[in-house]
Amino acid sequence: MELIAALLLLLFLSVGFAGAALADGMLPALISGQARPSWRRPIAEAARLLQTQPIRTEAPDALLWFLAPALYLALAIIGLAVIPFGPGLVTIPSEVGIVVWGSCEALTIVAVFMFGWSANAPLPLIGAYRYVAIALPAMLISMFVLIGAALPAESLGFTEIVEAQRTVWNVVRQPAGLILFLMLGLAISLRGPFDYADPADLAGGTTADVSGPALLAWKIARLAMLVSVSAVTATAFLGGYLGPILPGFVWFLLKTALVLVVLVAAGNLFARVPPARMMGVIWTMLLPLSFLMLLAVGLELLLWG
Amino acid sequence: MGLTDLLFFALSAVAIVSGWRVFATDSMVRASFLLLLSFVAVGLIIVMLAAPYIGVATIFMMTVEMMVMALFMVMFMMNPAGLNPMMMVHQHRFSIVAGVLAFAGLTVAILFTSFPGIPVDPAAPVVHDLGIELLGPSMLIFETAGVTLLATMIGSVILSSRSGRFGLADQGSRPPGLEPDGEPAGRQPEQGGGGHHHHHH
Repeated sequence: MELIAALLLLLFLSVGFAGAALADGMLPALISGQARPSWRRPIAEAARLLQTQPIRTEAPDALLWFLAPALYLALAIIGLAVIPFGPGLVTIPSEVGIVVWGSCEALTIVAVFMFGWSANAPLPLIGAYRYVAIALPAMLISMFVLIGAALPAESLGFTEIVEAQRTVWNVVRQPAGLILFLMLGLAISLRGPFDYADPADLAGGTTADVSGPALLAWKIARLAMLVSVSAVTATAFLGGYLGPILPGFVWFLLKTALVLVVLVAAGNLFARVPPARMMGVIWTMLLPLSFLMLLAVGLELLLWG
Repeated sequence: MGLTDLLFFALSAVAIVSGWRVFATDSMVRASFLLLLSFVAVGLIIVMLAAPYIGVATIFMMTVEMMVMALFMVMFMMNPAGLNPMMMVHQHRFSIVAGVLAFAGLTVAILFTSFPGIPVDPAAPVVHDLGIELLGPSMLIFETAGVTLLATMIGSVILSSRSGRFGLADQGSRPPGLEPDGEPAGRQPEQGGGGHHHHHH
């Protein structure tokens, strides 16, 4: 069963990655009213990056710089590995799935920091530091809403969390939790309003001094993490593989695709606020909101569970 | 020697070598990440010991902790981003003696302890049992330790951040003058603005 799940993971990641690349390339054009944007753009961009000359900065930490994209991609795959694709279809069955996913979130922050820090150049470094400052509290929030998703299941495993949603999906229990988790999704896939690592205001930030195949590897890892976080959102809040008529894997794929499109659209529709303001919003509004959601779920289960 | 043994020895080697490199590297950030690697290897060994929650939680907590540590070290030590080479060890003679004593003590403890050899039943609900223990009989201990640690962290930040880069932190930030003891550079904040108390002249 685990072997089938591992093969499905490869299939899911490939399909999801292709979909993410298409959505990322085409949605901005669709949103701006272009009727038929070209689906070839991501492929052309990848081909261009493969041919671009790689550059070096002065005295970088070459090893960490080289390893950071690989770590980022590996974390996306590990995150997918603890998620059930269907009843009993999970690559690494873990009874502490959300803690494994939490570690992937935390290590993603380390990977992004490593990538910016090891370039030994100003803009990547600024991107790396301010990303850590924003992403660490965003990760805290996501863990609180995930605990809210684990409470009804009385388990930290994703399979149990999905099974506990047979009666009611977690998005109904904590609607704000879903939105908070989507924000984390934007943060760890370095996207739109939560992209403090490599946005345009820092001339590329952590990627400012990266070019060629290394930049392509980083972009691939980002899209893989987007697929991974979409899958986790679909599992923890939208009932994962649960659904009528169609097989579980298809439902899981559809829900993941929906979340992915929402994330890409949100990344294009919402603007990034200055980091200091975002920091205030996260610590004084969003974090208390996640506490409230957790309290609400706890009270609901205590009174009516 | 089975696959489990090989994995155990490999992880132990990673933990020991990266732990040693923490003290051999010349950068605070690299030292933090090497320590993190060491902890990840130890966490995976704990997972192998049939304690999945403790193992994975070790990896999770240590990742966050090392990241925060790297951030704070650079903030307080004013070493531009931790990229400047610096000596990572100090008080050599004292640390050598302490290290030898700790090694001897731990070795003696390991050699003279009879470790239990009871394999954990794979069906045992270890995570559930741990949760009952943590939030049941041991709750007071863990909560006390948690609140104490939090108070220590806040206290140490307050104590160490009073003498800021541009003067005392509780007197508002004051950029350096354009000439020695001269007017501070940049735009002067309005009286009472920004929540600071300015006593400039």
